[in-house]
Amino acid sequence: MTGLRAARMPSLLGRHPVGLLLTAPYVVFVAVVFAYPLGFAVWMSFHDYFFAAPGATVERPFVGLENYAAVLGDPAVRRAFLNVAIFLVINVPLTVAIALVLAVALNGAIRGRTFLRVAFYVPYVTASVAVVGVWLFLFSREGLVNQVLGPLAPDPSWLVNEALAMPVIAVFVAWKQSGFFILLYLAALQNVPRELYEAASVDGAGRARSFWSVTVPALRPATVLVVVLATITGANLFTEPYLLTNGGGPNGASASPVLLMYQRGVEQGLPDVAAAIGVLLVIGVVALSLLNRRLLEAR
Amino acid sequence: MRRMIVLGLGALLFVFPFYYMFIGSLQAEPDTTVTSVLPDPGNLTLGNYAEINEKVNLGTSLLNSGIFTGGVIACTVVFGVLAGYALARLRFRGRGAVFGIVLLVQVVPFQLLLIPLYVLIVRGYGLADSHLGVILPFAINTTAVFVFRQFFLQLPNELFDAAHVDGAGELRVMWSVALPLVRPALLTVVLLTFIGPWNEFLWPFLITKQADMQPLAVSLANYISNVAGRAANPYGALLAGACVLAAPVIGLFIAFQRHFVSTDIGTGVKG
Amino acid sequence: MKRAAAFVTLILCTTVACGEGGGGGGGDAGQAAAKRGPINVWLSNNPEEVTWGKAMADAWNTAHADQKISVQEIPAGKTSEEVIGAAITAGNAPCLIFNTAPAAVPQFQKQGGLVPLNDFPDGASYVEARTGETAAQYKSPDGKYYQLPWKSNPVMIFYNKKLLKKAGVDPEKPPLATYDEFLATARKIVSSKAADAAIYPAPTSEFFQSWFDFYPLFAAESGGKQLVADGKAQFDSPEGQRVATFWKTLYDEGLAPKEKYNGDSFADGKAAMAIVGPWAVSVYGEKVDWGVAPVPTSTGRSAEEITTFSDAKNVAMYSACQNRATAWDVLKFATGQEQDGALLKATGQMPLRKDLPTTYADYFTGKPEYKTFAAQAARTVEVPNVPNSITIWQTFRDAYSSSVIFGKTPVADAFKAAREKIDTLAGQS
Repeated sequence: MTGLRAARMPSLLGRHPVGLLLTAPYVVFVAVVFAYPLGFAVWMSFHDYFFAAPGATVERPFVGLENYAAVLGDPAVRRAFLNVAIFLVINVPLTVAIALVLAVALNGAIRGRTFLRVAFYVPYVTASVAVVGVWLFLFSREGLVNQVLGPLAPDPSWLVNEALAMPVIAVFVAWKQSGFFILLYLAALQNVPRELYEAASVDGAGRARSFWSVTVPALRPATVLVVVLATITGANLFTEPYLLTNGGGPNGASASPVLLMYQRGVEQGLPDVAAAIGVLLVIGVVALSLLNRRLLEAR
Repeated sequence: MRRMIVLGLGALLFVFPFYYMFIGSLQAEPDTTVTSVLPDPGNLTLGNYAEINEKVNLGTSLLNSGIFTGGVIACTVVFGVLAGYALARLRFRGRGAVFGIVLLVQVVPFQLLLIPLYVLIVRGYGLADSHLGVILPFAINTTAVFVFRQFFLQLPNELFDAAHVDGAGELRVMWSVALPLVRPALLTVVLLTFIGPWNEFLWPFLITKQADMQPLAVSLANYISNVAGRAANPYGALLAGACVLAAPVIGLFIAFQRHFVSTDIGTGVKG
Repeated sequence: MKRAAAFVTLILCTTVACGEGGGGGGGDAGQAAAKRGPINVWLSNNPEEVTWGKAMADAWNTAHADQKISVQEIPAGKTSEEVIGAAITAGNAPCLIFNTAPAAVPQFQKQGGLVPLNDFPDGASYVEARTGETAAQYKSPDGKYYQLPWKSNPVMIFYNKKLLKKAGVDPEKPPLATYDEFLATARKIVSSKAADAAIYPAPTSEFFQSWFDFYPLFAAESGGKQLVADGKAQFDSPEGQRVATFWKTLYDEGLAPKEKYNGDSFADGKAAMAIVGPWAVSVYGEKVDWGVAPVPTSTGRSAEEITTFSDAKNVAMYSACQNRATAWDVLKFATGQEQDGALLKATGQMPLRKDLPTTYADYFTGKPEYKTFAAQAARTVEVPNVPNSITIWQTFRDAYSSSVIFGKTPVADAFKAAREKIDTLAGQS
C-alpha cells in the first residue's frame, strides 16, 4: 500500500472518511432487508417458534440449544451436510477448471467468437425447470447417456443411484453456472497486461508454460472470487435436488441443508428447526470462505 | 487448432440442452426417445407457443419483468460501484466490518430469510402487490459489490498514484480513472444481475397475488404448473414457456456481448 | 476480521430486540363474527374450478350488492400451502379459500390462522348435516371444525384397455382384485412389453406422495384405518406390512420404476395403470380407452367393501377475515345443493355430501363413468387431523422410500423406527 498518500491528518474515521459515505447506502440496505430477518432467524433458533397470525396469542418459550441438539441428532441433517461437502469437493474445482480453460480459449479465439460466447452463456440464463427437463432426458434410465454407454450404464441409473446422484448434481451445477464464471474470467482477462505474455514468449515459454506462469497468477483475484462464489452457491444448493432428484432422492442421498430447511421450515411449519439448520450452515460457510480466502489470497 | 477443438466441444456440450429445449417446444406430440434429438417434420407445431400467448398476458408480464429487472439493475450498479470502490481502494473505519457484512449476506440462504422478510415487507411496510415490494430485497446485489471490489482491486496501483499526484480527490479518481477501466466489469455485472430478477420465481410469487402485477417468470411458472398439464403436449408447453423466458435474455446478451473486450488497459498503465 | 464479527453481532442484537414487535391487530373475533361486507375468496386455479367459482360469485353478487365477493386464483400445486401459510403470518389471507388441504389444517390452526366454524350458531350442525358421518374425520383434536369438508377425489385404479389387451389380459374384466392377481397382471404387462411399467406412482420423496401409493391400499386393506389414530401410528401392523410387501414386489421386479417419469406416464402409454381420482375422467376421457377398478386388497374384497383415500380439498375461513358473517353465508351458499351440483357438473369432483348418488341421480344416470367414483366416495379415509401432520407424512415417506422403493433397509425395521418417531410427533400438541 505504499502507493497511497499518507493521511493528511490521523482521523477517527480512517484515512478516507468518504468511504463511509460511499458504503452507506449498501449498509442501510443490508440493515433493512437482511439484518432484521437474519437476526429474527437467529432469535428463532433459540426458541420454540412457529409463525402465527397477527393477533393470535401463542407461547414461544426460550429453549436454549434444544433446536440445535435436535438438528445435530437428526441423521437426515448430518447426511445433508455430508452431501454438500461431497458436492463442493467435486463442483468447485470442476467449475474453476471449466471456466478458466474455456475463458482463456475464448479470449484468443478469432472465429465464431459471438456464437461461442452466447453458447456458453445459454445454460446460465435458461430457467432451471427447463434445463432440468433436458438433463432428465440425458441421465434417466433410458436416457441418451445410458444408451450410449450400453452395458456400461450404472445400475441403478444415475439419478436414483445413491452413490451417483450427488456427483451428477455437482456436474450439472458446474455446467449450468460456468457461463457466469466464464464471463467473470473473460472480463478479468482484459486486465492482464499484454507485456507479461510478450516477456514470457521472449523467455521462450510455450503456450502451456505461459498459461501456468502468466495467466493463472494474473487471474488470481478472479479465481478467489470464483472459488468463494462457487462455494457459497454450492452451500445454498436447493433448486437442483428439489427438481432434478425430486426432493433430495434417492433416499436422502442428494438432500441439501437448504432443502431440509425448506421442508422443515415452510412445508412442516417448524421454522425454529429450519433456522437452526440455517445458522449452522452459515457458520460453516463463513468459516470455509475465510479459509479459502486465506489460502488463495496469500501471496 | 487445439483451441478450436476445446471450444467446439465445449460449445456443443453447452448448447445442446438449449437446442433440445427448442426442438421439444415445437413438438406436437411428446417424444422422449433418442431419435427426438433430430426434428421430425411430421411432429412440428407452433401450438405450444400459441397456447401460452392465449393464456398469459405476455405484454403486461414483460412490462412487470422489465420494471423489476430494471429497478434491480439500476440500484445494483449505482450503489454496487460506490461500495465496491470504497471496499477496494479506500481505508476508512469500519471497512472490515462492511466487508464482513458482504460475506455474511452472501452466505445466508434466502430460504432462511424468506418468511421473516415477507412478513416485514407485507405486514411492516405494506408493500404487497407493489413493484417496490418486489424490488426491495434484490435492490442491491451483494455479489455485484463483491465483483466490483475484486475488479477495483485488480487495477494497478500506479494508475491511482498518478492521479493522486495530480491532486485529484477520491471521488474524482473513482469517476474519471477507475470507472472507465472497469467497463468490462460493469457489463459483466449487468449481464450477471439481469438473470437473478429475470428468472426469480419464489419472491415475486409470494408478493404479487394479482395477475396484472406478476413478472413473466411467475406467470409462466403458474402456466407451467397449472394450465400446461391440460395442454395437448404438457412437456412441450413447459419447454415453450422456458424458451419464451430465455429468449429476451439471450437477445440482450447477443446485442451487448461485443462490448466486453473493448477496453485495453495496457495503454493505461504505460500512460 | 474480529471487528467485523463484533459489528455484525451488534446489528443482530439491535434488530432482534424489535423482532417480536409489529403486527398486532386482527380485530375482535366476536365483533368480526357478526360483521357483514365485501369479502375476498381464493380458488384453486384448476380451470374448471375457476369457471365454477366465478359463476358462483356472480350468482351471489347479483343478490347481495352490499356484500360482494371478489374471487382470485391461488397458484395450486406444490406451493399453494406455502402461500397460504405466508399469508396467514402476514395477516393478508382472504376470508375463504376453496382449496385448503386437510393435511395443512393442523398447521394453519396452530398458527392461529383459521376461524373455527363452531363460532357460528349453526356451524357444526351445518357441516354434519351436509356431509354426514364422514365429517367426523375432519374434526380437529379440540372437537371443533376448522374446515368444511368440501369435495373429494376418491382414488381408484385406472387401466388402459388397449395395453391390457396387448398384454393378453381381458380388458373388460382384468384380474386386479387380489395382490396375486394384480401382480400376475402386472407381470404380463411388462413381460409382453405392452408397456414399460405396469403402474407408475411417483417414486419421489415429497411428503404427499404416499397418498397415491401406500395410503389408498392401506385404507382398503385395514378396512378404513387412518395412518395415525388415537395418537398412535397404525401402519406398523400386519396390514401395513402386507401393503408394503406388495409395493416392494412391484419395485423389486421392475413392474413399477424407481425413477420419476417426466410427464404423464398413463397418458403417454408408458404405464398401463394409474391411481387416480374422478378428475381423470375428463383428463384421459378422450386420449385413452380406460376402465376403472377399486384398489386391490390381499384377499380381494368386493368393491362395496373397499375403502380408499379421499384426496379431499376443503374450504376454511381465515382469521384475517373481518366480515365473517358474510363469509359464513357465502360458505353455505357455495356448498348448498345447487352450487354443489354445479361443481359436480363442471369438474366431475365429488362434493362431500351424504347420499351423493341419489341427490344428483340425473347427473349420474347421464354419466355412468362417474357412478363408480360416486359410489366409492361414500367410503373414503382422510389424512389424520393430528398435530405435526406434515412432519408425520414426511417421516413416513422417508421410511417407505428407503425400505419399499429402494430396498436399503428391511421394511419391518424402517416401519418400526418410523412408528416410534410418529408416535412422539402425534403426541405433541
